[in-house]
Amino acid sequence: MGGVLEQTLITDEMRAAVGKTYRVAGSYPIAASDIRRWAMAVYFPARPPPLYWDEEHAKTTRWGGIVAPEEFNPFAWMRAYPGWGETYPDLWPEPHLGIEPPPTRANIVTEIGATYTGTRMRPGDVIRSELALNSYQERRGRLGLMLFTETKDRWFNQHGELIRTFCQTFIRYGEREEALFTRYAGKSGA
Amino acid sequence: MTLDRSTLAPGLRIPPFSRVGNFDNWNRFAAANYEFAGHHMDDEIGRHEGFGAAIGMAPLIFAYMHDMLRDWVGPEGGSVASVQFKLRAPFLRNRILTASGVVTGVAPDGDRLRVDLDVWAEDDQGARLVEGSAAVALL
Repeated sequence: MGGVLEQTLITDEMRAAVGKTYRVAGSYPIAASDIRRWAMAVYFPARPPPLYWDEEHAKTTRWGGIVAPEEFNPFAWMRAYPGWGETYPDLWPEPHLGIEPPPTRANIVTEIGATYTGTRMRPGDVIRSELALNSYQERRGRLGLMLFTETKDRWFNQHGELIRTFCQTFIRYGEREEALFTRYAGKSGA
Repeated sequence: MTLDRSTLAPGLRIPPFSRVGNFDNWNRFAAANYEFAGHHMDDEIGRHEGFGAAIGMAPLIFAYMHDMLRDWVGPEGGSVASVQFKLRAPFLRNRILTASGVVTGVAPDGDRLRVDLDVWAEDDQGARLVEGSAAVALL
């Protein structure tokens, strides 16, 4: 698309905030049962690999003990700090950064991705999350002006080792939620 | 079925991974990930939001993609190095999701072998649910 957008959802304040870390959170110590339940859930109805639940077996592997599946989320069911918080409600960077959020009313996740260092999460680990605003982009589509917000979340264990970097991109729209969901739902053929 | 390194080359299709979109599967993941949104648990809410039925969670599709890669690599063969995808269509209840992948590159990476793949998931009605890329690090 060429030309200059006649309006923009990105303010100078928002632009200046790109790259900033806007939330640091810490998990409770990971329990072996947390890992077991996660593995059971993501493999169900199949039995998960014993690496994730059988300590005696796990000790014989190259990992030396139980490790979590790479995508395991230690922040489910509450985080240890910065206080009561659930997995998704505090997604938007603007309130954390003290800047006025854009006037949008609907949102949808459009892209997710993680890169892993090979250092695994293990029982007893405490994970620190550093969530940053990675970028803002805009595009005009059939539903109007779309604001793409990408966040980057880096997780470290208690030894300061980077475990993973997780990026999500959300599209925020100014349109009503019904219009947004109808457009997305229409692709399913339902 | 775990991978045979002698077959590693661009174009190799890896074994797919399939799961039915039903509350048996989704509710277990909701409990593990604390993800109890109504549109994951109730067809009426899904329909109200325009989806036609309840929908599966994006983090669960993300996990299924990891399952596919881990099943292929084997428990001691290596680990997942990356997974990323764009969401294209919702995973509707009672549809069957199949995650698939094809090798696009094989290269040494330090003391490991990195295998890059294109990955995607479709349902049994032909809808492309997600598409992206992934990598595994073989030990």
